[in-house]
Amino acid sequence: MVSSILKTEKLCKSFSNGGVQQHVIKNLDLEIREGDFTIIMGASGSGKSTLLYALSGMDKPSMGKVFFDGTAIQDYSNDQLAVFRRGNCGFVFQSIYLLENQTVLDNVLTGALIVQKNSPELVAKAKELLKKVGIKEEGWKKYPNQLSGGESQRVGIVRAIINDPKILFADEPTGQLNSASSTDVLDIFTEVHKNGQSIVMVTHDLKTALRGTRVLYLRDGGVVGDYVMKPYDEDDIKERRRGLTAFLEEMGW
Amino acid sequence: MKILRLSIFNLKKNKKEAFVIAFLTMITTLALCIFIANNSKSDKIFEESFKASGSVENLVIIEKEHYRSAYRSILEENYNPRNFSEISLVFGAATDVIEPDGNTISYNLLFLTEKAERKVESFNQKEKLSDEEISGLSHPIWLPVYFRIVKGYKLNDTFTIIRGSKEYPFTVAGFYETGIGSSDGYGYKCVVSEEDYELFTQIFRGNMMAEYTGFAFDTDGEFPYNEFIEKCENTTSEYLKSANIYHRKNLEKANETQFITIFLLLIVFISFVTLIASFVLIRNKINNDIEDQMQQIGVLEALGYRSKEISLSYLLEYVISGGIGAVLGVITAILLTPVQNNLIRSMLGREFEGYAEIGGMILGALAVILAVTLFALLKARTVKKYPPVIAFRKGIKTHSFKKNVMPLENCKGSINFRLSMKSMFQEMRGNIGIAICIIATGTAILFSLMSFAFFKDGTKGLESMMGIDVDQLAVSLVNGADAEKMREEIMADSRVDYAMITYDLGRVNIPGSDEAGSTIIYDDFKNTRIMVPFAGRFPEHDNEIMISVKRADEEKRSIGDSMVLECNGVKKSYIITGTISSLYNGGSGVYLTSAGYRRVNINARPGMLYVFLKDGVNEDEFSASLLEKYGGSVKDMAKGGSSGGTLYDNLSAEAKEKIAVLMSQYGVSSVDYAIRIGDELLTGNSRQFAIKEVRSWKGMIKSQMEPIADATKTGTLAAVILVAVIVAVILAIIAASNVKRQRKSLGIMKSMGYSSKDLMTQIALKIMPVMIVSMIIASVVAIYVNKAFWYVMFSSIAQTDMLLIIAADIAMVIFAFIVTYIGAGKIKKISVTELMTE
Repeated sequence: MVSSILKTEKLCKSFSNGGVQQHVIKNLDLEIREGDFTIIMGASGSGKSTLLYALSGMDKPSMGKVFFDGTAIQDYSNDQLAVFRRGNCGFVFQSIYLLENQTVLDNVLTGALIVQKNSPELVAKAKELLKKVGIKEEGWKKYPNQLSGGESQRVGIVRAIINDPKILFADEPTGQLNSASSTDVLDIFTEVHKNGQSIVMVTHDLKTALRGTRVLYLRDGGVVGDYVMKPYDEDDIKERRRGLTAFLEEMGW
Repeated sequence: MKILRLSIFNLKKNKKEAFVIAFLTMITTLALCIFIANNSKSDKIFEESFKASGSVENLVIIEKEHYRSAYRSILEENYNPRNFSEISLVFGAATDVIEPDGNTISYNLLFLTEKAERKVESFNQKEKLSDEEISGLSHPIWLPVYFRIVKGYKLNDTFTIIRGSKEYPFTVAGFYETGIGSSDGYGYKCVVSEEDYELFTQIFRGNMMAEYTGFAFDTDGEFPYNEFIEKCENTTSEYLKSANIYHRKNLEKANETQFITIFLLLIVFISFVTLIASFVLIRNKINNDIEDQMQQIGVLEALGYRSKEISLSYLLEYVISGGIGAVLGVITAILLTPVQNNLIRSMLGREFEGYAEIGGMILGALAVILAVTLFALLKARTVKKYPPVIAFRKGIKTHSFKKNVMPLENCKGSINFRLSMKSMFQEMRGNIGIAICIIATGTAILFSLMSFAFFKDGTKGLESMMGIDVDQLAVSLVNGADAEKMREEIMADSRVDYAMITYDLGRVNIPGSDEAGSTIIYDDFKNTRIMVPFAGRFPEHDNEIMISVKRADEEKRSIGDSMVLECNGVKKSYIITGTISSLYNGGSGVYLTSAGYRRVNINARPGMLYVFLKDGVNEDEFSASLLEKYGGSVKDMAKGGSSGGTLYDNLSAEAKEKIAVLMSQYGVSSVDYAIRIGDELLTGNSRQFAIKEVRSWKGMIKSQMEPIADATKTGTLAAVILVAVIVAVILAIIAASNVKRQRKSLGIMKSMGYSSKDLMTQIALKIMPVMIVSMIIASVVAIYVNKAFWYVMFSSIAQTDMLLIIAADIAMVIFAFIVTYIGAGKIKKISVTELMTE
């Protein structure tokens, strides 16, 4: 039996907009299983990103509970959440968000050194991961502005996984990339997942969603569809696409 | 229109910064206005007061004993004196006076009659008792207005002078405006009745206490005093340098106004510091605004706006905030005029009608606005560096980057520390501005703190710079008194720690020098307590001498040089072994061993005891008991005779009178008597007449310097607090604007798990190297400023309290860390989700 790494109970998140309350997530009960590559999909404004932030401890829910590995995190202070994130979560953003005044290697190590002490092994690991995602040695000393979008996102992924997080969150990681770069980045995610990494990813792109093992469909602040797939296999892509498309059509996508 | 809108938007967006800039500009203007309003005011007040006093400009007084009529002829024949008159007066050095509050304090006092006073000046009385009331007083005295303003005397108060063991109470009959001879350290001029003047000629006898003949006169141009004295000396072969005092208008003015000048300089420095601080803030804000609005700048440029026009949008807000600050500064300065006037009144010791120099203040305010505007314009011109394409790329001109300083690969310790240092190096140019600001503020704080520490215990700090052991009581013995016997008797007193025999304070001629040497003689300088040589060592042998730093500097004498002293025609050469900071007699002190002094003054006989009391013993009480036991005045006794009472009293008085006559008329030095009255034996001896006077250096310093010390203490403490507040405000604002500027990076780091505390620590740590280096530089500058200050003001070298400076530096660095840490607290408000949904 696969244990759940994340669980919500009656999760609510609302925003005040000009004095009007907007309920984005409504009484959501959800379980994210360890080892899954969970994809969150839905129409614009359905609460995908809001749910991702609430699950990852980036934001606090308005009501309800979030359990991470059985521990409730919804009442953590901001600093407690920061400590929680550094030990357990990795993040990949649509806008990439590399630190502009730091080199590629330093960007990766900035994420690592807040969790662990510096060591030759850590530096070697960072370099190895960079190599693995296709950033060669001459690129390690480059600054983000000297990189292409795809290269930057690959650095972003390395920075997110350098600490071996229990769960990796990604918010439309291919949203700003061209097709070739997107595929490269998705391949990295697939590879990472194959190595046992739990991933929760928000996307509205079918090609990206195909990489997951479970697709949750959100509408009006609640999960209205839950579709499970086998781990990604290139040979099985047609069947996989057909199944997911059917699910999404059923969801009204 | 778009430009104006951008400008108003910037002003609204950064209300806090705009407020702080207005505040700093206000302080700058206020300080500048205080300087402008008072710089000429103190001079003007002195001149007006001098004019109102009707005083002559020169008063040369020569000890009657050394006075020759030829001196007057020399003056009249060679120097064409106008309004000349010759007067008599009495000088009483270090005269103890019981103040209205009951404390005893020492003053250098000059006494003269009203008739003599009217020859020197017009005796313009500012406040006085009625003629009827005055005629009812047995001992009226008229004091300079200084005593009313600074010391708080009122009409009818008692002004009690102590000589020997006797008290001479006077009643204050009036306060008068005086020109010279009131506050230059050589005597506050007091007007007394003819009878009392006669009394003073009798009771003020001793070293620098005597009746003097004075020449009061005006001259065209500066009177060549030294030349005159030399002419007199050459004519009569009298050594006059140690027997005369020269009061003159310019010296009086310089003495009275010097502390006001110091205060004004301190205020100008604060004005400069706050101006620098506002520049740093403006620079920081403009940089941030331009960085924030880079793409908007690009759009405006693309639309055809010239960079000059865009620069104007960054200028207007500083003209507005600086203008508001400057106006508030002028208003505050005007409102504070009465406070300033009170301060000046108490520091000058002169009355004046208050007025505000509004014209000058407005000019000052305009200068501040102009400076702020020009600086802002200079910084705003940075926009020129960003043509549209570069602006669109957020200012990145090329894809070349500087070397990666402090790569994290080599990080050994804390990542927060490493990242803060990395960031510090990346923002080196901005740090230079902050460093200049911290150096300026740090120097102001450290200098003010050193001055505050120096004066915090009143005049205690000055005691260490007097060049004499102020811990001691100087006990002058009557001629012929057995010094060794007296020392033994005094040493037997349980309150006494130590007593040593020395020579009365005297003066020796120094050929080639304009200033005679005031002798300070010790058998062995190892017995001194407070005195510490500034350089070299104390004299140990009879051919060695130590001199003041001032004399060494002015006369270009160095350790190892030889120096000739002359006394009563005997000349002897000495080797200089050291120098010492010395305020005593204007730095004229020469330090010799007893044996060394006897070489040049062959007839010298020890006539003084230095008495060091045990800790906790009250100096005044001890002096009083000493004088009661040994301080009977021979003259009083000889004149007084017996006066009623019991047979025992009458006989005792008769015996004392007999002794007095023997001592004063026949030079008898020791008498013992025994009278049998029935079964009773009445005994006594001449020991009662052994002490001429007991002088307290501390009291003397207190009378001359206490008001100045108090004002300096208050002023410097206020300066420390004000500048510390300015430092706090600047650092907090810089930290807050750092957070604003680095909002995105900080948000990214938060998403990685850096807590607000981590990031606040990084921002606070980032300022630390700048702070440490700046404070070290500020310390060095402050030490030199302090030394220069003391040298210029007092011809003395201030000892540097390194411990205080180090403690202050550490405190400043910690203070800066805390302030910056708190200032960076805005980080807490940065939400990662807001960042990601931007």
